[in-house]
Parts: sequence; C-alpha cells; structure tokens
Amino acid sequence: MRKTVTTKSYTQAVADGIWGAGADLIGYIPSVTIAPVIEHLVTADGGTAGRAERVKPLSREEEAIGVLGALPLAGKFGAVIMQDNGFGNSLTALTTFSMSYHLPLLIFANTRGGPGEYNSMIHSISQPMPRILRTAGLQVLELDRRSSADDWEQTVAEAGVHARMTYRPVVVLGSFWSTDGKVA
Amino acid sequence: MGRWPETKRIEALDVLNELTAELPVVVTCAATSRELASVENRDNHFYVLDSMGLVGSITTGLALAAKDSDLPKVIGLEGDGSLLMNPNVLPTGGFLGAEKLFLILLDNQVYGSTAGLPTYSSRVDLGALAQAAGWTVGRAADESQLRGEFARLLTTTGPTLLHASIEAGNAADIPKLLVDPVVLAHRFQTWLTVRMGPHTAV
Ligand SMILES: Cc1ncc(C[n+]2csc(CCOP(=O)(O)OP(=O)(O)O)c2C)c(N)n1
Ligand SMILES: [Mg+2]
Repeated sequence: MRKTVTTKSYTQAVADGIWGAGADLIGYIPSVTIAPVIEHLVTADGGTAGRAERVKPLSREEEAIGVLGALPLAGKFGAVIMQDNGFGNSLTALTTFSMSYHLPLLIFANTRGGPGEYNSMIHSISQPMPRILRTAGLQVLELDRRSSADDWEQTVAEAGVHARMTYRPVVVLGSFWSTDGKVA
Repeated sequence: MGRWPETKRIEALDVLNELTAELPVVVTCAATSRELASVENRDNHFYVLDSMGLVGSITTGLALAAKDSDLPKVIGLEGDGSLLMNPNVLPTGGFLGAEKLFLILLDNQVYGSTAGLPTYSSRVDLGALAQAAGWTVGRAADESQLRGEFARLLTTTGPTLLHASIEAGNAADIPKLLVDPVVLAHRFQTWLTVRMGPHTAV
C-alpha cells in the first residue's frame, strides 16, 4: 500500500527504507552519493563519525558480502550500501556464497557512469553492471528520478522483504541524477 | 601430533575438532573442509565449499551477530593462501574490534589444496600482520601449544588469531564433500540460532 507522499530527501528515503527492510546490521563502503545515506543511518542509530552500533564501515565490497551476508546463519538480516563499480570485486562472493547457500541480503548501490557523470572511465563498469548482475542470476531493482523519494523508500524496504521471501540477495540500484541527491 | 613442521593438517583438525564441539566453526574451502568433515561432520560446522578468502569475513559477521549471545567466540578455520586472498579480514577485524572473533590460521606456507604451490607466508608473517592490525595473536607449532593458546585466546575479548604452523600436504583418500550448500547452511543455522538469544546456555 502506498504511503502519503513525503518531502524527505532521496538519501533520507533510502536510509529509512533500509531500516524499514528490517536490517539488523548495515555495512558500507562509501561514495559521495551515499555519504548522506550513511550519515542518516549512523545518526538514527546514535552513532557519530561514520560508526554506530548497527552501522559498520568496511574496506571492500567482497568482504561486505561475507560479513553482512552471513547474518541469516545467525537468524539475522544484513544490508550493504555501496557504489555500483564495487560489484566487480564481489561477484564471486555473491554467487558462490550468498546465492549458493540461499542467504538473503539487501544491497543498495548508487549508480555511476550515466547522466551527471564527470568521470571518463567509470561507465566502463557501471553501464553494463545491471546486465552483469542479471546474467549472474541476481534480482535487480532500478530506481531513478522518475519516481518519488517515497517510492524509493518503499522499494528499498520491499527489496529487503523480497530477499527474505526468496532466500537470496536483492540489489537495488539508485541513480541520483536529477534528484535532490549528488551523482558524483 | 608431532613438532613443527611435522603436524599434518588433519592432525591439527582432529585436536581443533575436540576443542570446538560447542562453538560455531566456519571452515575454509577445499582440503580443510573435506578433512574436518572426515574427522567429524558436525552440525556446528559451516563448510564454505568455495568463496576462497571469505571465511574471515563470514566469521566477522557472525561474531558481530553473536555479540549478545552466551557463545564465547565464533571460530573461523582459515588457510594462509585464503587469508592472503582477502587480507582485508585483518584490518577490518582489528578496526571493528569484534569481541567474539576468533580465527585459527592453519599455515602450511602453501596452497596445499592446489598442487602445493608456495604462498607468501614463508616470508610474510601473517600473525605479525594481524598483530599490527590490533588482533591478539597466539602461535602454535605443536599440539600442546595449540591447546594452550586456544584456551587463552578463547577467553580473550576482541579479535584473536591463533597462528598454527602445520606441515604441507593433504591427507590421502579423503572423500569430496558432495553436499548441497543449502543443506549445509540450514544445518548450521539450526544449530546456531538456538544459541543466539541472550542468556541461552551453550
Ligand atoms: C577464487 C579462487 N581462486 C582459486 C581457487 C583454487 N583454490 C582452491 S583451494 C586453494 C588453496 C587454498 O590454500 P590455503 O588457504 O593455504 O589452504 P591449504 O589448502 O593450504 O590448507 C586454491 C588456490 C579457488 N577456490 N577460488
Ligand atoms: Mg595453505
């Protein structure tokens, strides 16, 4: 059911969607785009300087899949926040761990390499990434300027539910171009 | 179990299996999983059949998840080659300071499961790397050291690494682990989740 349209920012909507998804622990690898998401999450959890009880900085996307992806084994649920160019170093973990062992995981990644991009090479990994992920059998939901912050929040929250319903990781890709967020 | 470097992987696993009967154990791929399962295939074992390098990260996640449980530690059994594939485990564990993280590194200085080619560990001290990253490190080169350091690190709060030197080579005639990963995950999850609640007796 659709909630009333709010005036919250897109980054706040993503943060609220992640809590709404039922995440017990969140790991992140930062980007300028998702830095405000991380800040919202840390603040909401009573932390400071990028760290809180339930929000942890990590150093590589591959390890994020291992750390957060393992939580269902302990009856908990994890979420990863990252940038889409980091999927290249986490595909082996996503396929041979999360997918093979049927472990749900919510991943929100901002996209790069599209409209609003300044970097002259990041599109070489970011542009094909939705296809790469889908070829690997991952469920991918894509968000952009055409839907409201409210829709983003509901989609992120439902992605977490969907991951648990289907016992697999679910990736939400968010393009912040022409929203109130920053692309890069 | 003899003195270093005569301790075979399977002999070390035999001792560790006895010491970890009531602990969650995340086990690295290939020969280590196969050999431990041949010693005893138990519900508290989580065999990571591939995902080389991920055992330390999985163990870190479970250690964070088990923070409020009565489990003293979550154990990861890792190889030197596998740790070198994802050495981020060391700085991340040290930075996060996961109280219940306990890695046991079976260091034979080779990629033992794949033709015994050398890793870096004859020249690069993985225990010292862990120490530099803030872990409490113990070292073992024989059975009594393994038992003694295991007991000490089990009751040491914060990330702990037991650097065990073992002989290169694999045990003969060990059957492959031909199990659906979903079955392995479900079995381990069933064992672990009942031990997760606060004040649940181990
Ligand atoms: C990504 C990846 N590359 C290569 C391999 C092949 N492989 C399987 S086990 C192994 C060696 C593991 O070495 P180590 O962790 O030292 O354990 P040991 O067998 O020596 O006990 C390798 C290279 C793999 N499983 N995954
Ligand atoms: Mg080795």
